[in-house]
Amino acid sequence: MKLELKNIEKSFGEKVVLKGISFFAHSGEAFGLLGRNGAGKTTTIRILMDVFPAENGNVLIDDAPINYNKIKIGYLPEERGLYPKKKIIDQLVYFAQLHGMKSKEAVKAADYWLERLDMTQYRNKRLDTLSKGNQQKIQLITALAHNPEIVILDEPFSGLDPVNAMLLKDVVKEEIAKGKIVLFSSHQMSYIEEFCSNIAIINQGEIVLKGNLHDIKHNYTRDKLILRSDREDDILSDLTGISSRTETGEVLIQLDSPDKKQEMMQYLTNKYDIDELKVFEPSLNDIFVEYTGGEEKGGKK
Amino acid sequence: MNQFGTILKFELLSYLKNKIFLGITIFLMVLIAGVMFFPRVSGLIIGGKNDASAQQELSVHDENTPVMAVYSDTPQQTELLCEAFTSAFPEYKVEAAKGEIADLKKQITSEEVECAFVMENLNSYTYYVNNLNMYDRNTAIADELLLNLYRMDAMSQEGVPGEKAAEILSLQINHETESLGVDQAQNYFYTYIMIMVLYMAILLYGQMVATNVATEKSSRAMELLITSAKPASMMFGKVIASCVAGIIQLVAVFGSAYLFYNMNKSMWGNNPIITSLFDMPLYLLAYMLIFFVLGFFVYAFLYGAIGSMASKVEDINTSVMPLTLLFIAAFFAVVFSMSSGNVDNMVMKVCSYIPFTSPMAMFTRIAMSTVPFYEVALSIAILIVSVFGIGIISAKIYRVGVLLYGTTPKFRAIIKAVRKA
Repeated sequence: MKLELKNIEKSFGEKVVLKGISFFAHSGEAFGLLGRNGAGKTTTIRILMDVFPAENGNVLIDDAPINYNKIKIGYLPEERGLYPKKKIIDQLVYFAQLHGMKSKEAVKAADYWLERLDMTQYRNKRLDTLSKGNQQKIQLITALAHNPEIVILDEPFSGLDPVNAMLLKDVVKEEIAKGKIVLFSSHQMSYIEEFCSNIAIINQGEIVLKGNLHDIKHNYTRDKLILRSDREDDILSDLTGISSRTETGEVLIQLDSPDKKQEMMQYLTNKYDIDELKVFEPSLNDIFVEYTGGEEKGGKK
Repeated sequence: MNQFGTILKFELLSYLKNKIFLGITIFLMVLIAGVMFFPRVSGLIIGGKNDASAQQELSVHDENTPVMAVYSDTPQQTELLCEAFTSAFPEYKVEAAKGEIADLKKQITSEEVECAFVMENLNSYTYYVNNLNMYDRNTAIADELLLNLYRMDAMSQEGVPGEKAAEILSLQINHETESLGVDQAQNYFYTYIMIMVLYMAILLYGQMVATNVATEKSSRAMELLITSAKPASMMFGKVIASCVAGIIQLVAVFGSAYLFYNMNKSMWGNNPIITSLFDMPLYLLAYMLIFFVLGFFVYAFLYGAIGSMASKVEDINTSVMPLTLLFIAAFFAVVFSMSSGNVDNMVMKVCSYIPFTSPMAMFTRIAMSTVPFYEVALSIAILIVSVFGIGIISAKIYRVGVLLYGTTPKFRAIIKAVRKA
């Protein structure tokens, strides 16, 4: 199955929020939707879920317009919240039923997921008696219990302790293995890098970068070298103007062009005792900042 | 439809499981039981007293019997009047005044004597009483008595024998009233009660719907709800659930009232208010139900839409103010027309076609006047169309409103957003 958003445009009043968003994701893979606060991620997700229509563009499943009666979507919103005063099992069953499950199926599914997330002991408790992390696990169940084909997780890891984060990672991997489309939206780049093969970065309502994460990294202009050595200070003074020290303590050398790297590498290895020398590949974090930073005009949500 | 059913069931159950809802219902039922069993418990027969027994009962005087004093210039006249007053006022102990007028006034203010007739002559007197009761008919009785005495005297002077004169004077005119439309006096009480119930129910449940929506919004359960269910299903589910809950509550309260009344029917005798209430014609009850449900929907949808605009539950009270004021104004227009007796005035006629006022106005007119059927049908038709219209608009406002956080949006901004949605 292929989920595709094609040229989505949306404005609220005078303000243009989305200026032609297009991307696609396949079954059995996780897709990362990145962007700064107010870039348009939540609006994109809401259009995808038919909360409001787009002014232009389509949401397609296998190249045909999506049929919301057939395709089930699970959603973990960034703003968490359920009914604080109601019994957990009642809420889980309610939401599963809203997604079309029969009452018995819904109870069964809710119980399965309570068990899976180690929450069975809270089954008959009120939601507001739980800690924040546990409430989040309950909320996660509402996104998964009705066995949706598309799972949208908005900042799923925020607020989870390392043990729960591990549990969630396992669950996400299971969902991907079951052949679902998992759409991640997060600022925690390490998790995106871990799960997502494909990403799209939205900035001010536009996709500024998209594609396979590995390719993106590899295709980065390879005109920087990263180096570790005992004689770093000498190297820094030798290459004044083109070298600098990174936050992690290595030396970064900026070349005039990528084809100069061979020459520079030879020069360095001949002259100095080098521990490590490689072409610089940016982390997702660096890519994100490069594409979205700088312009402080980011709108509000 | 399936989704709507799920929402309806969920919302209805949360009403029925709500402790406050249960508490109010049980409290009202207990209160009504208390009222209905009151005559049995107190052993008092309210209404329907047999006149003979009442006379007998009350002519036995003791120290608690109120004292009525009579004062006139001559002792013979005083004695004569005392005798006449004793038979005319069986509930009083009638006696000649002790002392002068000033003493008499003191006796009245100290409540030794309840009231006094100070006669200037047989045709003129001053009535003294400490606190004049609204329903005090003593002067009217005394006037009639004195008039009769005067006429008897006049007739006997003209040579009419005493018995003949008494016969002439005691003649009573018999009359019967047959109302071909409705009897306002009889319908007044239950119309009033029904309007009151409608008023209370709409205010109470309207607020509940608004609070319910605002709570979902402020707890951010809305984020998930809006992506799980259609706004129209949500809105209709919530409003219909609250309507069903309201009807369940009313049936519980009025049903228990009916049951308790029947258990104590004999004790209530012929109390006109109570009997008219329980003898309400069925067609009126049916109209009551129709107008209740439709009126309820009109307001509950709007309350729901307003609830969706508020970011915090605390904002609800101020946000719903305009709607509540509109409703209170409608209520007062109806109540004033009812007490004026003219329920077919221009204001009421206009009000009975405006969906915001027609549930109360039209129902009052049906109950207290004769309204042509086509007018009723037109009013109901307008209401039904409005309910759907308002329902759909409210669902749209709801969809726009629930995703807006922060300051409450301006009215024009809402209209704009709703048009686009």
